[in-house]
Amino acid sequence: MAVNPKKLRPYDQAPRVRAPIIPAAPDNAATAFLVAGLVWFMLATGIGVLWVAMRLFPEQLALNLKMPMLNGVITVEFDQTSVGSGFWNSLLYGWLANAGLGAIFFITPRLLGRRLVAEPIAMLSAVVWNIGLLAGLTAIYVPQVAASGSLMEYPLPVDGVLLLALLLANDSFWRTLLTARDRSPYVSIWYFGAALAAFTGLYGLATLAPLFNLSAAGDALANGFYARALETLWVTGLAVGTLYYVIPRATGNPLYSSGLAIMAWVLWLGLATLAPLDALVDTSVPLVITQIGNVATFLLVVPAFLVVANLFQTINGRWTLILSPGTLPFAVVALTFLAATAMLGAIGSLGSVQALVRGTDWGVGVRLWVFFGTASLAFLALADHAFPRLLRRDWGGALLAEASLWAAFAGTALAGLALIAGGIVHGSLLTQAAAADEITGTLFWFRLVLGGGVSLIGLAAIIVTLNVFLMYTSARRADYALVGEAVPAAGH
Amino acid sequence: MTVHTPIESRTRGIPAWGLALTGSVFLAGAVLFATNLGGENPPIIGTPVPSGGAPLDAVGIIRAAGCQACHGPDLAGTGDFPSLHGVKDGPVSENLQQLGTDHPDDWAILWIAGTDPLVVGLDRGGMPAFGDTLSPEEIAAVVEHLKSLP
Repeated sequence: MAVNPKKLRPYDQAPRVRAPIIPAAPDNAATAFLVAGLVWFMLATGIGVLWVAMRLFPEQLALNLKMPMLNGVITVEFDQTSVGSGFWNSLLYGWLANAGLGAIFFITPRLLGRRLVAEPIAMLSAVVWNIGLLAGLTAIYVPQVAASGSLMEYPLPVDGVLLLALLLANDSFWRTLLTARDRSPYVSIWYFGAALAAFTGLYGLATLAPLFNLSAAGDALANGFYARALETLWVTGLAVGTLYYVIPRATGNPLYSSGLAIMAWVLWLGLATLAPLDALVDTSVPLVITQIGNVATFLLVVPAFLVVANLFQTINGRWTLILSPGTLPFAVVALTFLAATAMLGAIGSLGSVQALVRGTDWGVGVRLWVFFGTASLAFLALADHAFPRLLRRDWGGALLAEASLWAAFAGTALAGLALIAGGIVHGSLLTQAAAADEITGTLFWFRLVLGGGVSLIGLAAIIVTLNVFLMYTSARRADYALVGEAVPAAGH
Repeated sequence: MTVHTPIESRTRGIPAWGLALTGSVFLAGAVLFATNLGGENPPIIGTPVPSGGAPLDAVGIIRAAGCQACHGPDLAGTGDFPSLHGVKDGPVSENLQQLGTDHPDDWAILWIAGTDPLVVGLDRGGMPAFGDTLSPEEIAAVVEHLKSLP
């Protein structure tokens, strides 16, 4: 019997079922990593604001709690040191690593034209990584259990959990790549493979570092090498691999030159491996080794400019796209920061500049630009491209996308400039043997600007997350092809 | 049907400007390397500071001794290494509380020197003893400077 729809009551209609934010498959690992990454992005910038506030008012904001536990008293310290560690850890391992692994698991299947092998294992790596990270970040604030060293503060069991998560991610990525029919994959895959292998190797070595019984100087040197290698190999590699994917996709243009791209990859891999040697500054290390690192850092400007030129040539003919909100403006700003940080790295490798800025915030400023400027904006470009395809919904209004772009750009520019300029001023004051009061008073204003910059980046993180939330809850449905599905490739 | 949308490339070749840029910057890098091989690296921690009878420059001693490598550029602490801004109020670390109580005026000098039997058994947390590399006057100047920090 035919039903008259006008007579239907609400209770006659089937309930509307909302798809979970992390779909069952495919792409659940990519979605999980990207969603977790955005949460960490907000958390990291929030801790960053607190860290800057503590640098401005160290005594007023420090908090030391003693909590009675079953086997004694546990001290929880919230001071400049522990909050600073929390900021860098949540930024690197929370936001950038999650977003980077999300990029790998989103892009790799699409470029190879096949579903991710062992997707449940990739999904498991997302769960294990984030649980381990949460435990590690908690441990930072408890001096009784935290280990020593910047970005190496986690206790051994936590390091083991995180290493396991990385091995699981490697398993899924390499099996997907090695069983694909494509024998000469696109250059993004080359960057992802090198970055993932380097990160896993470096993290494994850092986990085993306590077994080597290094001296205090040796420990500090190894720590410096590790942090610098993560910056050159892991963070930069993922960001460049992501940009090589999103720019041709956003413009619809072919890549300008695959030969140039492979040449830049070879140069980057060699130089980025040698560049961390510049962190080994001590009388116990022969100068020639440190100089190899310095020259490699100087020469990193070559692959950076080859990447930027290749991708700018790729955009040719579609430049008007940067005037409207979307993937391309984020990617272009990320490329600009890539060129700027390569130039600053080259300048900072010169002896006269090192003599001035050694021990100041100059290096922190350059690193902040790599993390927030190059990498974060590249991942935000990917998020703009990927979330409609992962959640199968269109973005809402353009206003939020515009706001997040400008807040991220302005905040990163301000924060980095404050640290870099503050480093130059600090070095000059130290050379003039200025009094400590004068140095502290002068640096106060630079740190105030730094606080404003980090706050703006935090605002960008909140806006992007809000936009994703609105997309999930109320945006129009849109059909995008998923790898392995019999759906037309439009918008893919 | 498996969706496979590879990214094509306009050309497989390497443009001449790419090779020219690479060659010229590598040449500059070779010059930079060849002209910077004299001397040796500065110390990361615990190196003697030459004293020539001039008034002691505490900031210079701190910089040359590498204190900032662990305690941060502004000596406000990094990682597990504590801030030195609270020295005027007594020791911050748990294991120095007794030393601070017993020797309120010179605990910092004893700790930095690290050679007195009072501190030899204490866990230094990776901090070197400067008693063999800095003179007592230099250590005293450093401590005075640290006490002036806000």
